Amino acid sequence: MLDVSDLVTAYGKIEALKGVSLHVESEKITCLLGPNGAGKTTLMMTIAGILQPRRGSIRLGGTELVGLSPARIVARGVALVPENRLVFPQMSVLENLLAGAYQRSDKAEINVDVERMYTRFPHLRERHQQLAGTLSGGEQQMLAVARALMSRPRVLLMDEPSLGLAPLVVAEIFSIISELNRDGTTIFLVEQNAHMALQVAHQFFLMEQGRITFKGTPGQLAEDEVIQRAYLGTRRTAG
Amino acid sequence: MDLLDLIDAVQSVADGVLFGATYALLGIGFTLIFGVMHKLNLSYAAASIGAAYASLLILAGIEAPAIFVFLMAAVAGGVIGGLVYLIAFKFIPLANPLATLMSTVGLLLLIDEIIVHSTAGVPLNYPALFSDVIIPMGPFNLRGDLIFVFALGCVCMVVLLLLLYRTKLGLATRAVSQQPIASELCGISITHVNVLTFVLTGVVGGIAGAMTGAAIGMLSPLLSLPLTVKGLIVTVIGGLGSIPGAIIAGLVVGGLENFFQFFRGVSERDLYIMLLLFAFLIFRPGGIFPTTAGRD
Repeated sequence: MLDVSDLVTAYGKIEALKGVSLHVESEKITCLLGPNGAGKTTLMMTIAGILQPRRGSIRLGGTELVGLSPARIVARGVALVPENRLVFPQMSVLENLLAGAYQRSDKAEINVDVERMYTRFPHLRERHQQLAGTLSGGEQQMLAVARALMSRPRVLLMDEPSLGLAPLVVAEIFSIISELNRDGTTIFLVEQNAHMALQVAHQFFLMEQGRITFKGTPGQLAEDEVIQRAYLGTRRTAG
Repeated sequence: MDLLDLIDAVQSVADGVLFGATYALLGIGFTLIFGVMHKLNLSYAAASIGAAYASLLILAGIEAPAIFVFLMAAVAGGVIGGLVYLIAFKFIPLANPLATLMSTVGLLLLIDEIIVHSTAGVPLNYPALFSDVIIPMGPFNLRGDLIFVFALGCVCMVVLLLLLYRTKLGLATRAVSQQPIASELCGISITHVNVLTFVLTGVVGGIAGAMTGAAIGMLSPLLSLPLTVKGLIVTVIGGLGSIPGAIIAGLVVGGLENFFQFFRGVSERDLYIMLLLFAFLIFRPGGIFPTTAGRD
């Protein structure tokens, strides 16, 4: 579905991505793990078109995305739920959702989708007139996800949806992620919470210092000693 | 102070509040551009006066009705607004906060120069509507031209608020002002919104320029600097980024200006307005309606 190959993105002279290649499979949950500063957010921002890569390609089902404006990329079917949610604080929940559908002009269908989001996220229906800045962190995350879904993406990118949220809320977010995936949404997830990610994702990549250093299934991930130590915090007791 | 003086004072303040609608419009213009780009456009008031001049120059020789002149000022304002964006913002590195400040000051001086050279610095008469209408209200007289200026200002504000809060483009504008990166992720083009904001505030500025000309009865290149200062004061007192704040502050500054002019004379008038600004900066730096940040 989404193919990234040999992607290099730099801030000035510093290369944050040093030739990243990965593949996001259709209708699966793909998870990118990695420590702070590995370049995960840079990768997400580059796919979404906010950052321009120095070289490499990003293809969505055969269409090249590199060089397109963020607006075009959204129109092609890629939506990003950004790190720290970035909801529009002084706009109501409903307006946030409508902003997510900015690229669309099918008014009746947009209203159907708003209703769909309210059904999936009942909190948002209760608070649809409330300013987004007054929502709790978890509710803002739900809103950010719903806003991204309003563009009817073919691939949903999520940058650390669990960041700064209470464990119960994190569990709720992850159950929503697998629910979305069951309904056929392709998801590419950046996460530091490897435990939670292991429960939902089908495919894993590990990124360190701008490079992909591991690729495998949840089973392979759980087997890997190094990853166990670094990301799961448990070492299998010998014997 | 006897009763006649009191009546005169109230009359004067009322006139000031009516004229304050032009300050409110200028304040809205400053505030909108600041909201979207987080930059001050110091050439804004000069461009507004420039638009009013343009309406006179374009229609020179034609006996155009006043309302047509005002309309032309609005159109010229929109065009100049787009040019201001192109000249002072488009190719200037936005990351450097001083760069656009400098480029807009430069543009302010340039516009002033163009006005002076194209009119030889001589003030031009500006048409007004209803200037011969006086509405008596008890002991007070309401000037028809000022009421028209005030009404035009109000219509302008209502249209602007409807645009901002009831249309898709307004939604995009507010989105960019609150969270630029998320707006791009929603598929909103920041460049489009910027250009649109400059053209729209330019139209508002053109109307404000025309209203100033109509209320004073003439246009002079000496208007642009005081209007720049008043516009900025209104923006700060109202709260940077707040439209209701700019409206209230505009009317208050207009009223107080005449109040101080009545009691202390025209030479001291601006001194007290400056003191008001300092009082706000010290005791309420966020202005009447401070822009509240969200949780993030």
